[in-house]
Amino acid sequence: MIKFENVGKVYPNGFEGLKDINLEIDQGEFVAIIGLSGAGKSTLIRTINRMHDVTSGKLTVDGVDVMSLSGKTLRRFRRKIGMIFQSFNLITRTTVIKNVLTAFVPDMPWYRSVFGIYTKEEKIKALECLDKVGILDKAFVRADQLSGGQQQRVALARTLAQNPQIILADEPVAALDPVTANQVMGDFKRINEDMNITILINIHHIDLALKYAKRVIGIREGKIVFDGPAQGTQWDEVLDNIYVGEASREGNIQEEG
Amino acid sequence: MNLTFYDKIFKPKEYVLPNGKKAYKKASRAPIYVILVLAMCALSVKITGFDMEVLVSRIGQFFVILGEMFPPNTDYMPKIWEPLFDTIKMSLLGSVVGALLSVPFAMLASTNVCPSKIVVSVMRVMFSLIRTLPTIVIALVATLVFGLGTLAGTVAIAVFSFGYIGKLTYEEIETVDMGAFEAMQAMGATRSEAFISAIIPQVLPFYLSNCLFNFEGNVRYAAVLGYVGAGGIGLILNEKISWREYPSVGMILLALFVTVFIIESVSRMLRKKLV
Repeated sequence: MIKFENVGKVYPNGFEGLKDINLEIDQGEFVAIIGLSGAGKSTLIRTINRMHDVTSGKLTVDGVDVMSLSGKTLRRFRRKIGMIFQSFNLITRTTVIKNVLTAFVPDMPWYRSVFGIYTKEEKIKALECLDKVGILDKAFVRADQLSGGQQQRVALARTLAQNPQIILADEPVAALDPVTANQVMGDFKRINEDMNITILINIHHIDLALKYAKRVIGIREGKIVFDGPAQGTQWDEVLDNIYVGEASREGNIQEEG
Repeated sequence: MNLTFYDKIFKPKEYVLPNGKKAYKKASRAPIYVILVLAMCALSVKITGFDMEVLVSRIGQFFVILGEMFPPNTDYMPKIWEPLFDTIKMSLLGSVVGALLSVPFAMLASTNVCPSKIVVSVMRVMFSLIRTLPTIVIALVATLVFGLGTLAGTVAIAVFSFGYIGKLTYEEIETVDMGAFEAMQAMGATRSEAFISAIIPQVLPFYLSNCLFNFEGNVRYAAVLGYVGAGGIGLILNEKISWREYPSVGMILLALFVTVFIIESVSRMLRKKLV
């Protein structure tokens, strides 16, 4: 369980990224976080695996105070949290399978990672992860030869190879066309249902958020202004509040590059 | 439009459109720079005592010596092989050692990998200091420390390669896409693990290409290191020039030329495949 208690985040330049966040997310939930660019969606997600520090309040994951971690304990903690990025963040010059295999690097002796030596079991496990996201046939192709949707699936396979309890996805479909975006969201949903992995997604496409997520959190200027189920909510008014009247139910805000 | 003093003397060129609107192109500043460079050249001639008369009257001697080198003394060739291979061994070993050692330091000199600004600056100052030292001076010092011979030459070339490859590598590391590095860190990897897995694959082709280019150049540098006693072909070259055995000098230069030509051709071919 992820638990925010009065969490705040002030950046070194004085900007308040998060203000008094109180939130509980149970294991196995599928949560979409919506809000304008700069509202604090990325900050919120990145505090969970401590890619960003929180400056006040308490953030616990499975009872562990995230801010108490450092060095080795932090790295071990991060092993159980997967992360997906808008720009995929793959090593483009190497093959798909090698990208997935990097998930094992933190648990390997250094000389194996220097020379890229992986065991048979690791390779089979990497291939299984690629199979789960439906791109087993691309395993030995160079990553930069794949389409955007395929690259995001490689990133998803890499995260699965980590065997995570939680997956944090920061704008995972913002760089994809609508059809591919739907497919990738479908992958997330399947992973969430089949493996009971908690999924938190930052997303600009409101229609996708409502279609795939079970719970929606709206953020405005660093504060949570909405938290409720994706189904059965009167969205017009809620979205008006989240986007300060800038979006309608049909219109997406997807200006972020 | 801002008109400087220069523009008032050299009027901007005016373009008039059919509808009466105007666009101005300012006069080129190039003449100022040409005059500056010429003035500095004239000053240099005066300071260095460059004498055209001596140059014209003595240049013939250069061709006399060159002429004496022909035909090269082929009987001398058997004695060239060993120093020639010494030169190649020195440059190869020195290039490899220097290039390998430079990697961890290049990593510490890259702002995107190393979190400490102080370490980055210290590493960079060290790299520039090493590159300022002429290789021949390092070789001279190395002969004092390690004695005369190829070891001193190898050390000198390793030090030079360290500075040269290190500088090029950290500049390459800084242009790399940091996404994969970030992803590795989010997965719980240390900075070194993230560097090895995410950055090395991106910079490796450029690194290898730079290493080859460095080796190619080092064969030529290594040839003169013998002058200070650091072993290799420079040793016999120096000897034969002082004894005025020009046909043998010719043979040495010919052998060196062929070697450098072969190494450069192979290296160029390999580098084309890399990048």
